[in-house]
Amino acid sequence: MGQLLRDIFSFGDRPVIERVILVVFAAIVLAFPWLVESAYARAVMIKFLLFALFALGWNLIGGYGGQVDLGQAKNVGFGAYATALMIVHLKTPFWLTVPVGMFFATLESFAVAYPMFRLRRHYFAIATLCVALVWKELFIFWDWTGGARGVELPIKPTPNFTYMEFGAIGYHYFIFGLFMAQFLFMNWFTKSKLGYQLQAVRDNEDAAASLGINVTGTKVIAYCITAALGAMGGSFMSVYYLYIDPDLVMPLDLSILIAMTVMVGGAGSIWGPMIGAAALIPLDMYLGAWLAGGGYYGIDFIIYGFIIMIIAAYEPRGIWGLIQRMSKKG
Amino acid sequence: MLLGVQSLVKEFGGLVANADISLELEHGEIVGLIGPNGAGKTTLFNCIVGYYKPTSGKVLFEGEDITGWPAHRVARMGIGRTFQSMKIMPLLTVEENVMVGAYCRTGDRQIARRDAHEILELVNLTGEAHASPTELPIASQKRIELARALATKPRLLMLDELAAGLNPLETKEIVETLHRIKEERNLTLFLTEHVMEFIMRISQRLIVMAAGRRIAEGTPDQVAKDDRVIEAYLGERYAEGR
Repeated sequence: MGQLLRDIFSFGDRPVIERVILVVFAAIVLAFPWLVESAYARAVMIKFLLFALFALGWNLIGGYGGQVDLGQAKNVGFGAYATALMIVHLKTPFWLTVPVGMFFATLESFAVAYPMFRLRRHYFAIATLCVALVWKELFIFWDWTGGARGVELPIKPTPNFTYMEFGAIGYHYFIFGLFMAQFLFMNWFTKSKLGYQLQAVRDNEDAAASLGINVTGTKVIAYCITAALGAMGGSFMSVYYLYIDPDLVMPLDLSILIAMTVMVGGAGSIWGPMIGAAALIPLDMYLGAWLAGGGYYGIDFIIYGFIIMIIAAYEPRGIWGLIQRMSKKG
Repeated sequence: MLLGVQSLVKEFGGLVANADISLELEHGEIVGLIGPNGAGKTTLFNCIVGYYKPTSGKVLFEGEDITGWPAHRVARMGIGRTFQSMKIMPLLTVEENVMVGAYCRTGDRQIARRDAHEILELVNLTGEAHASPTELPIASQKRIELARALATKPRLLMLDELAAGLNPLETKEIVETLHRIKEERNLTLFLTEHVMEFIMRISQRLIVMAAGRRIAEGTPDQVAKDDRVIEAYLGERYAEGR
């Protein structure tokens, strides 16, 4: 138990600095609602935390596993729909719907993983993208999912912990709690046996197999854990937006934005997802809104694309790689 | 008998890379596998450790039929290997590379780390434990591969061209290291090599392959005088004119 706690709260290269950064980050986020009154800024903060959460989960298969999965939105959708449908039809408390969403995401991922991991690199990426699109179309087509109209959750008049509905400040702390839980889980995971084996598979599959690692098995497990982590964020989206439809929780854009967040921030590092979300989400919410307000729709996408091109050409390990490179020189 | 290969055949399309190979290794031996380029040495290695499925024939290890087992099961069974073209894991540190090997036998990080450090000491890499492997010279990278394979606690260690790319001094050092780890870890060694200096010095017994077939076997001295071996390496005319 003591060892587990040490693993969760200890960091790699610069343990003291990284612990300080985490505490400062947590302090800023905790104080944020008391420092900033703008409702828009608070919404940006929640979206930042949500995407940092998504990115953390995707970093497992995409960063540590090196498998470019472009279908994470399907898992977000499973989580979101499990929560929404169970609350609407069965009046199940929110906290019981979360494991159900995670379970279905894991089950589906396990079922599709074996055939998918017969493919490699971009073929694998295309397969994940297709599977996610099929699910989105099915959720639009089916009646029991509400089809394209989506699902509306009942609005509670007062803050409610059973169904996790409250004001903006409540959601702020709620998503921060989920984020920290996943952050610390990932920090533990990277030091676990499976974490090392997954990185070995990413670096060299032949070498990994020669060391007794079941390469496909390791990828499948990582893919399933990633799915479960994505579903958790999806459940939050349901109670936060109080309305979901396939275009909101399962679109291709979402899958790509999640993957992009990790790549921009730094794939395969514990800080990458946070940095990526901090770089992309405010850019989208402020710059995008400002440009669209001036009638320049789509300019923000050009800026997005430009940033990604620069990162891909100059530092494939993302902003975190850039920071590490500079701190080594300095 | 520790390892037995019985009438092993491996074909790629129409090309016969290994034709009817049989051999046996006893516990504690150091056996070298030599032959000119394209003789099928690496193919035979890959068939034994599960990277290729043999077309026909059998591979036995400690009495168990391991023919066609996937590579990770063969590794867990107790056969370690290094690669001709090095396959270091570049984003992990030296220590982590070796720890991944140690995780083959344990789930506990403290034990894996302790095992890794013992082995790094054995191959003289303690000082580089936290370095990035790609920043180290070739000789050190070869030692990482060796350490990583050792960390899986094999009983048979198969080394594919371990001395390739090393200078004579480095070769001498790695021979000493191999002797030391063989004694300390009670290993059986099976090596392929181009560097004759290296393999003649270390092997107790040599098996010679040419064009996919086993053509000779014996002590290094016997093999060096064998006409078929000289012919395979230097050509028929040289062998006749001698």
